[in-house]
Amino acid sequence: MFSDLELDLFLKALYETVYMSFIATIFVCFFGLLLGIFLYLTSENGMLKNKYAYLSLSFFTSLGRSIPFLILIVLLIPFTRLILGTILGPSAALPALIIGATPFYGRIVELSLHEKGKELVETGLSFGANTFNIVLKILIPESLPSLIRGLTVTTITIISYTSIAGAIGAGGLGNLAYLYGYARNKIEITIIATFLIVILIIFVQLIGDITSKKLSKK
Amino acid sequence: MISINNVSKIYKTNNKEFKALQEVSLNIKKNTIHGIIGESGAGKSTLIRLINGLEDYQDGTVDVFEYKNIIKLNMESSRMLKKRIGMIYQSFNLLERKTVLENVLMPISINGKVKPKDLQKAKNLINLVGLSEYINKYPNYLSGGQKQRVGIARSLINDPEILLCDEPTSALDPTTIKSVLDLLKDIKSKFNITVVIVTHDMYVIKEICDYVTVMENGKIIENGYVEDVFYHPVKTTTKSLLSSIGLNYELIVNNNKHIKNKYILFFDKSILNSSIITEVSMKFKTSINILYASITPNEKGVMVVQIPKNIEDIRHSLMKSGVVVENV
Repeated sequence: MFSDLELDLFLKALYETVYMSFIATIFVCFFGLLLGIFLYLTSENGMLKNKYAYLSLSFFTSLGRSIPFLILIVLLIPFTRLILGTILGPSAALPALIIGATPFYGRIVELSLHEKGKELVETGLSFGANTFNIVLKILIPESLPSLIRGLTVTTITIISYTSIAGAIGAGGLGNLAYLYGYARNKIEITIIATFLIVILIIFVQLIGDITSKKLSKK
Repeated sequence: MISINNVSKIYKTNNKEFKALQEVSLNIKKNTIHGIIGESGAGKSTLIRLINGLEDYQDGTVDVFEYKNIIKLNMESSRMLKKRIGMIYQSFNLLERKTVLENVLMPISINGKVKPKDLQKAKNLINLVGLSEYINKYPNYLSGGQKQRVGIARSLINDPEILLCDEPTSALDPTTIKSVLDLLKDIKSKFNITVVIVTHDMYVIKEICDYVTVMENGKIIENGYVEDVFYHPVKTTTKSLLSSIGLNYELIVNNNKHIKNKYILFFDKSILNSSIITEVSMKFKTSINILYASITPNEKGVMVVQIPKNIEDIRHSLMKSGVVVENV
C-alpha cells in the first residue's frame, strides 16, 4: 500500500511525536507540580497564604493558558532561537510545549491539592510537622492518583500541541499529516497519521487510568 | 493543665466580622474527660483547636502544661507541645494511601525516622484498639468505627498527655458510637490522659464526661460538673440539649403542671440497690406516683415523683435514706 520511503516517514514522524511529547511531559510534570504547589500554598487556604504572591502567580498562569498555542510558538521564536540555535525540528518545539502546558498542569495540581487539603494539612500540623514535610510526605503522596489523572490529561494536550507545532516545522505526525497529506493531496497519509495519533492518545489514557487506579488503594 | 483566659477570635471575611470566640475563659483539669457542647457555629471546634495551637487568636492567653501563651512559642517548643497532644477528628483524617500501621506511625515518620521501638509501640496500640488483623489494610477497607479506632491509635503514638477529640462520633452509627466512647474511657484511665471532647450530642457528654462546657455564639454559657449542669441547667440552650436525651426535668415538670406536690429525687450510686421508694411508700401507706425516672451520668438515679399525702414524713424518711429531695 505504501512505499518503503513512506513507511520510513511514518516511523520517523511517530518517533518525533513521541519524543516531543515525552520530553515535554517530563518538564511539564516538574514545573507544573512546582507551580501548582506554590499556587496551592499561597492561596486563601494555604499554609503560606500570601495574597500578592498568589495573585501574581495566578495571573501568569492564566495568561499562559489563554494564549493560543500557535501564537505562543510564534511569540517564542526569538527565545527558542536563542537557547537552541534553531526554530526547526522536534527539539525546537520543546520550549513552546513546556511553556504552553506548564500553566495547564499547574492549575490541575492546584485543584488536586485542594481536594483533601484542609483536613490533611490540619492533621500534619497537629503532628508538629513543618510545611515542607506536610507537602512532601502527606499532600503529594495522598494526591498522587489525582495528580496522575491530571498528568494524563496534560500529556494528551501536549500530544495535540505537537501536531500544531508539527504543522509549522517541528516534525512529527502533525507535520506528516499536513505537509504530505494535505499539501500534496495524499488523503490516506493524513488518515493514517491521524489514526496513529489517536492510538497514541488511547495508549496514554490507558496507562494513566491503570496507574491512577493502582495507586488509589480503594 | 489547660488554661484559656479571655480569648477572643474574630474572622474577617469581605467587610464582615464573625466572632468565633468572645472572651472565653476555661480551665481544664488534669485526668478528666471534659466535654464541650454546642450547636454548629457555636465556636466549640475553634475552642478545642486553641489547645494545640491549630488556631490563633487576637486577645487573651492560652496556657498548656508549663507553656505560657502558646501562640508566642518558637517552632521547636510548638513542636514539643504538639507531640504531647493527640487529636482525633470527625472525618478521621486518615491517609488513604497508607496502611493502618503506616497511618499509626505517621506522627513519627513525618518528623523523622521510625525506630524499632516505635514499630512495636504502634503494633501494641493497634492491638489495643482491636485492629490487629487489619494492620496491613488500607483505610478504605475499614468501617467508620474502625477508621476512628485507627485515628485513636495514631493519636496515642507519641504518649500524649492530652487527647483532643473533635466530634469523634458524629460520623458513626449509634452502636459504634458506644464502643468508641467506651474505648476512649478505657484509654483515659489506662494512660492517665486528659480528654477534651467537642460534640453536639448530649449522649456523648452523658456517657463519658466528668465536666461539661456549653457554648453558644462564641461564648461559654454554662460550665461545671456534668451532674450539676444536668440536674440544674440554667440556660435555655442547655435545657434543649438535655431534652434531646430525655433529661429535661423542667419539661417534665411543666408538662405536668396540674399535678401538685412534685419533687425531684436524686439517688446516689451507693443506694441504687435498695428499694427506697417501695419501703417509704409501704411505711406511710401512701402511693407515690413516679412521673419520670432515669439513670444519668456516673450512674446516679433521678426521679420526678408526686407525693399526695404525708409529705413531710416521707421527705424526712427519704432524706434519711440518703436521697436528695428537691421541691419543684
